[in-house]
Amino acid sequence: MRDQPLLIRIGMSLYLLMFFTYLLGPLVLMGITAFNSASFPQITPWEVFSFEWFSKLFADDRILEGLENSLYVGFFTVILSVSMGLAGALVLTQIWPKLRATYYTLIIAPILVPGVVIGISTLVFWAEINRRLGLSPDSFLANGIFLTVLGQSTFIASYCMLVFVARLQRYDTGLTEAALDLGASHIQAFRKIQLPFLYPAMASSAVLAFLASFENYNTSIFTHQKYATLTIILSQKVRLGIDPSISALAFIIVCLTIFFALLNEVRTRRAQLAVANGAPVGVVTGGFKAPGFFAGNPAAVILALFVAGIVATIAISQVYDPEPAKSVLLKEKRAAQQLRIQALQQRMKERRMQKEMKGPDIFGGKTAGEKAKSGGAVNPGKGAFGSIWKSDSLKSVIPTDEKKDKNGLKSKSPGVNTFGNVFAPTNLEDAAGSRKKDAPKE
Amino acid sequence: MNGFMKDYFRKNGALMGWTLIILVGFWTVMLIILPQLYMFDLSFHPHLPPPEMGGPKDHYTLENYDYLVFGAPGNEDGYNKVDLLVFGRTLIAAAFVTIIDLMLCYPIAYFLGQTKGGGFVRILVLLLIIPYWINEILRAFAFRIIFGDSGVINEFLMLFAIIDSPIDFIRANVALYAGLGYAYILLMIFPMYNVIESLDRNQIEAARDMGASWVTIHRRIVIPYAKPGIASGCTMVFMLSAGALAAPQILGGPSSLWFTQLVYQWFNTGGNWPQASAYAIVLLVACLIIVLTVMRLFKVNMGDIGK
Amino acid sequence: MGSGVSVDLQDMWIKFGDFVAVREANVNIKGGDFFSFLGPSGCGKTTILRAVSGFLEPSAGNILIGGENMIGKGPNERPTALIFQNLALFPLMKVWENIAFSMEVRGASHGERRKRADELLDMIALTGQGDKLPSELSGGQKQRVAIARALCAEPDVLLLDEPLSALDLKLRQHMRTELREIQKRVGITFIYITHDQGEALTMSDNVAVMKAGIIDQIADGKSIYDDPATAFVASFVGENNCFRGEVSKIVNGEAVVDTNRTGLLRGRIASDAQGKLSVGDDVMMFIRPEALHLSEDGQESDTRILADVHHSEFEGQSYNVFLEGTEGKEMKMALTNRGEARLFDAGTSMAIKYDASQAVIVPAGELASE
Repeated sequence: MRDQPLLIRIGMSLYLLMFFTYLLGPLVLMGITAFNSASFPQITPWEVFSFEWFSKLFADDRILEGLENSLYVGFFTVILSVSMGLAGALVLTQIWPKLRATYYTLIIAPILVPGVVIGISTLVFWAEINRRLGLSPDSFLANGIFLTVLGQSTFIASYCMLVFVARLQRYDTGLTEAALDLGASHIQAFRKIQLPFLYPAMASSAVLAFLASFENYNTSIFTHQKYATLTIILSQKVRLGIDPSISALAFIIVCLTIFFALLNEVRTRRAQLAVANGAPVGVVTGGFKAPGFFAGNPAAVILALFVAGIVATIAISQVYDPEPAKSVLLKEKRAAQQLRIQALQQRMKERRMQKEMKGPDIFGGKTAGEKAKSGGAVNPGKGAFGSIWKSDSLKSVIPTDEKKDKNGLKSKSPGVNTFGNVFAPTNLEDAAGSRKKDAPKE
Repeated sequence: MNGFMKDYFRKNGALMGWTLIILVGFWTVMLIILPQLYMFDLSFHPHLPPPEMGGPKDHYTLENYDYLVFGAPGNEDGYNKVDLLVFGRTLIAAAFVTIIDLMLCYPIAYFLGQTKGGGFVRILVLLLIIPYWINEILRAFAFRIIFGDSGVINEFLMLFAIIDSPIDFIRANVALYAGLGYAYILLMIFPMYNVIESLDRNQIEAARDMGASWVTIHRRIVIPYAKPGIASGCTMVFMLSAGALAAPQILGGPSSLWFTQLVYQWFNTGGNWPQASAYAIVLLVACLIIVLTVMRLFKVNMGDIGK
Repeated sequence: MGSGVSVDLQDMWIKFGDFVAVREANVNIKGGDFFSFLGPSGCGKTTILRAVSGFLEPSAGNILIGGENMIGKGPNERPTALIFQNLALFPLMKVWENIAFSMEVRGASHGERRKRADELLDMIALTGQGDKLPSELSGGQKQRVAIARALCAEPDVLLLDEPLSALDLKLRQHMRTELREIQKRVGITFIYITHDQGEALTMSDNVAVMKAGIIDQIADGKSIYDDPATAFVASFVGENNCFRGEVSKIVNGEAVVDTNRTGLLRGRIASDAQGKLSVGDDVMMFIRPEALHLSEDGQESDTRILADVHHSEFEGQSYNVFLEGTEGKEMKMALTNRGEARLFDAGTSMAIKYDASQAVIVPAGELASE
């Protein structure tokens, strides 16, 4: 894009910005709501910075049970779909040429078939087999984990197959022939030569398979029976009524994702840099040297900052106690409520009078309310940056916070800095105090 | 054929050969072909309790398909307007989501594919992948937070006094379309990105040299070249949107159902497997017909899908 | 090391569908021979090699190694080792692991393998390089590792599929000598595939020249060059001037050919065609550029040709003179550079001569197109 008109470049930059806001904004917002003590996942009105939703999440037995089921299903799905995908790809490379197109269409089709269709067909088919075999309705063939693994593997194996096909295209079959020629059996040639070549593809397809299995909903919802996976538990929770502990879970998953994505990026970058510098492979994969590790590798720097931020957050969560702030907030809320009730009563009274007089006061009252609202919403932002350490009510907390923040600054963690703003309970109180808006739905 | 099998075992050895055949056979026959066929068969059977299956009352019938078109027996309307409406709306909405995604993603795919930025592009690609790794339910949940009555957008709009009472984005299905578009955006970008990346920059330079405008360059060079990627992306997004269940359940308005939700209702709430199978078959066939027609129209092969 | 083991192909046919890749090949390779298959690409020579090593089964005929029929045996059951065109070194294994791979699959211990690998590394002059990866070696080093890996399997027959084609000219010439030396040292049968006649002639005891699935001639290098059996062999191996015509007289293994454009010329009938030609047959006569020389007296004879110089080139060791005979007949003459300045001007008319024993007559046939 070197020699494009300036206008196009600016337009493209703006577009990129908007696009990535659309892509990442929702996740960021959801993550933030996990730290708001309000019982509905929201950013405004902001109540008190709190880790309580994380505690609630870890205490939720259904979530934990769902996680366990998801891990079981994921484990078996990875094994089944990676081996089927690998076999499918190997067969594709040597199938009778006239059958190749048909075969490829057949094994790629599950990707295009809607998940619900796969779910239903798997369930009805295996139930029929179960019935024909005269097995009881709770036999192994009707087991939710078994069915879910089969259903998911049907299409996840296709993903794996694509990964293997891509890798196999770069495989020199001469290597297998060379091994055979040197006296290796077919199994030996496969195990010692072709399989090691496929290891990277196996690793990436296993990760892909696990992620696809872990987040699958459309198929599992039909096949899970009584073994609800995490995704299904989540969907039930979300449909019954949402609370920020789901945001907390999302926050954790986002963090894990970013961590592994960065880790992967750092490793590929290191390998690339090594190749570019012409260093022998052994040197690069060897010892960990801090300056070398970061040199020319922005992803590594981001990764380090990211990890520092997470560690700091977890540390803070151990010492930070939002209760005092909350109780103050509660008081404020009650007071505000009181005020509102009074105002309401007042207004009703006025209205009753207006009914007789037909005055324009309704609008006047409304605009006043609007003003108050906008004022309340703007203030906390300003205050957050302005008076972080002016707390009187939380003396016991502040020293620890300060220490943490120093650590954070040393490691230049952006995470801690942002949280630092939020740790000022007083300004939150101020914000809450000046707020005239309705209390959140309980 | 016989010689082929001989050659196959000669190449792979007996153990490897049979392992491959068993794995591929299990996958293609027991997981792909037979379940679909059985579901197809089941959709032509009446809804019976398990003991009566295969019994005298079990016979082939079109009643399940009848129901979708004409409604319950004795329906006065003549047609099952509710379900047909849901069906049509699902397909149209899925097509709509696909087109929106295509328009959103094409510039990004072009930018990523043709920029020789190295590090910057890699980071952008990484950012693209991250949302895809987040659970589908959680992604929908995030949109619920944003579009809810007291969600960010309503709060924002009210803050600046653009509106005075929250807009019900959920009921208006805005949240649903945004959420669906969001969910499969990556599947649109990557096929296009992969193809455009392999387009020789010199072709574009040459066209510019000859005085072609940007519109012409895209219309005559980039888009024809990227066609397999575009077709692949559109196919995936369309099929997945039409077959989506989680997003409509979480983000859909109370009055507008997605066709998959009907399938789900027949299956779970109604326990009527044959009826659910019939609906699933209709969904599958309709999607396939649409996709194959579009692929034929744009002269794209099945082999290009999944690249 | 294995001693010389013979390889015999008996009436071997190889077909892919309707396409005949190899037609009725009959070859007897003596034990300990360095035997080359020479031919243009696509002539079926690699197919023969793959059949010998066991990667494909002949459609008909037998393959005998050391007198034992190999039909039905896989590549891992045959006493052959193949050196692939692209070498096919295992990229993920270290050099020494590559070399000792054949021992690994036989279950040899780590110590044994390492010891043998180090011995072979010494032999190929790569001492101490065993822990590198193949990607860290140069082209010639990889080449030697591939040979060591094949030799480690202690094969009776070593098959080489154009192993030098990827190397640059200098290295290629060096490796020719080295390969020949290795072969003499280990004493096993080498079967070598190449399209480069120089390689075939310098290294081999015997050469089979192939064209489109058919073996035209099997002989030692000198016979192939001096006494070709067919028009194809004559035109494919080395440069040749071809004169086509009818036999007008046969005397004592020699014949006079009434050539189309150059008149009556006398030559020797090729060994393979002796007794098979009669007057009136369509034949081709081949005279090598170096067999042509300037006629001292210019006297008319049946071994004299008149021509004009078209242009000439100086090539260091020789001068190449491109001539135009009657009716535009093109010829090339190579004169050894003995110090006299002999660059001829274009248009110079001259009489050239040759020795009838150096003009070979074969039945007319397809020429090699280059």
